[in-house]
Amino acid sequence: MTESSRSDGENAAESESGGTVDATDREMAAPDDGVATTDREVATDGGTASGIDARVSDLTAFLRDRPRLRTLSIAGPPYGILVFFFAIPLLAMLVVSFQADQIGGAWTLRNYTDFLTSETYLTVVWRTFLLSVQVTAIVAAVGYALAYSIVRFSRRTTLLLLLVILPFWTSYIIRMYAWINILQSDGVLDSILNLVGLPALSLLYTETAVLIGFTYVWLPLAVLPFYASLTNLDADLIEASKDLGAGPIRTFLSVTLPMTINGVITGVVLVFIPTFGSFITPRLLGGTNNVMIGMVIENQFKSAFNWPFGAAIGMVISVVVVALLVLATRLGGGLFGTGGETS
Amino acid sequence: MSAIDRVTAPFERFTQTHASRMASAVIVAVLAFLWLPIGVLVFMSFADGGVLSFPPDQLTLRWYRVFLSNDAALDAIVTTLTISIPATGITVALATMIAYAVDRYVFPGRSWLQLLATLPIIVPLVVTGIAMVLFFNGTLGLPDYVSVVIAHVIRTIPFATLVILPTFMSFDRGLEEASKDLGADEFETFRQVTLPNVFPGVVAGGLLAFTLSFNEFVYTYFVKGSGDPTLPVYIWNQIRYNVTPEVNVISVVFLAVAVSMVLAAVSLTRVDLIARR
Repeated sequence: MTESSRSDGENAAESESGGTVDATDREMAAPDDGVATTDREVATDGGTASGIDARVSDLTAFLRDRPRLRTLSIAGPPYGILVFFFAIPLLAMLVVSFQADQIGGAWTLRNYTDFLTSETYLTVVWRTFLLSVQVTAIVAAVGYALAYSIVRFSRRTTLLLLLVILPFWTSYIIRMYAWINILQSDGVLDSILNLVGLPALSLLYTETAVLIGFTYVWLPLAVLPFYASLTNLDADLIEASKDLGAGPIRTFLSVTLPMTINGVITGVVLVFIPTFGSFITPRLLGGTNNVMIGMVIENQFKSAFNWPFGAAIGMVISVVVVALLVLATRLGGGLFGTGGETS
Repeated sequence: MSAIDRVTAPFERFTQTHASRMASAVIVAVLAFLWLPIGVLVFMSFADGGVLSFPPDQLTLRWYRVFLSNDAALDAIVTTLTISIPATGITVALATMIAYAVDRYVFPGRSWLQLLATLPIIVPLVVTGIAMVLFFNGTLGLPDYVSVVIAHVIRTIPFATLVILPTFMSFDRGLEEASKDLGADEFETFRQVTLPNVFPGVVAGGLLAFTLSFNEFVYTYFVKGSGDPTLPVYIWNQIRYNVTPEVNVISVVFLAVAVSMVLAAVSLTRVDLIARR
């Protein structure tokens, strides 16, 4: 495309945006393109083009000869919105985390030094880490067992998968509230234990309650990558393993698990990261003894109003998360692959 | 037979014999774990005494009546809809553009666009939430309403894209070629050939985006200042400060929205595309 013909095209688009449909003008836009000319004749012959349609088809004719502009017009808006309203805010958070007391304050490292030298906060981070590891391990074990049972032993896979993911689409807070109903002293669980003559457990506001809550919310999310990788597994490999004399457990450990490890890593990442940053579950089910780092951030923003300090903690969390993601992609988790790969 | 094999052999035999029954037990147990709490919520919404007594003395529709005459709760639903409906429209348009661009064109930055469209799932909600409140409210000074709608769009784009993109990829591109050979231009081809073929996936993506937006809490909680609460924020305040049995009824509302939307979406597209990854 030369400069002169590009400006021709622009003129054509301008003159036609007034509403007139002029085939000659359009031919001038790309006189040497035989196929394109035919396109236009057909479009005009269609005769149904209203003012808007004509303008749109002029626009597409204009864009056809400008592949870069065409790509930009389609990829540009989502790109722009994601960069401006997602990526830049994260960078802004980095900037704010170096400011004292309030946005626009003096530059300082104090938010970081205060956080990283405080034994209280580091204890919270360590507890959050341990709890996230426990949650991830439980969810991975239960979720994998479920996905494996569905893929290998069930014929109604669609219905079962639907029953697994439906709870995921219900409000997170409502799901936590359901567990408050069940776990509180004299709640559903205690009442049932009472009826069968067992002592009450009063699990609400214990670490067990937090573990149950997290397992409940993340299980559906983890089952999906497990399910996808198990469905993709070639069943012949399992047969071969059995033909060679391996029992089901050995086959699982030496064939199935290694072959689906990418799905496992993806599921683990999907559970660990949101658990690490969560504040809803520990606040509603954990009480004051089970503080997690997400709660500290929430507190800085909603009660203490020390935004720069909250931003600094957010950055520390992000660094942990990014490190884990890099580790996971090194191990082969397919988080950023093209959409078709996992299907 | 090695020593290890002698030890594991009985377990192998047991697993071999009972594999199918073990699988059924796992499926039943986990599905019970997933659905019993939801069942409890629905059941308790009919309980006369409300949250604190189980089993309830008698069943009643009283709390449904209380809910229907509670202006604060109904206002919260309206507030949620005024955010979710525009956010869903914007998300569907953007996710369709992402799917079209990523599937049809090769351009510099293509993989970055895919990464950007997936990242909001991966970055912890609380981190993005505070980044947004800092930038939208602190730096740009956007009004609450605009901020929340944008936040919901960012939150729902990854899920909508993950549902819409495979529909584009599995659609036979030969049909588009045929349309163009027959003289249609790119826009006509998109409108008359591509869109009807990918439409079920686009609608499914929209339904899921709406469900997610209707339930959205963390971004809303940070970005939305002191304005009218959305339903999830309203529930959060209720649970934290004064729980009434009415919360059970509102839970049923959430459930009804989620179940009907997801079932509609599933009828339009493959179930494993929904909430995958």
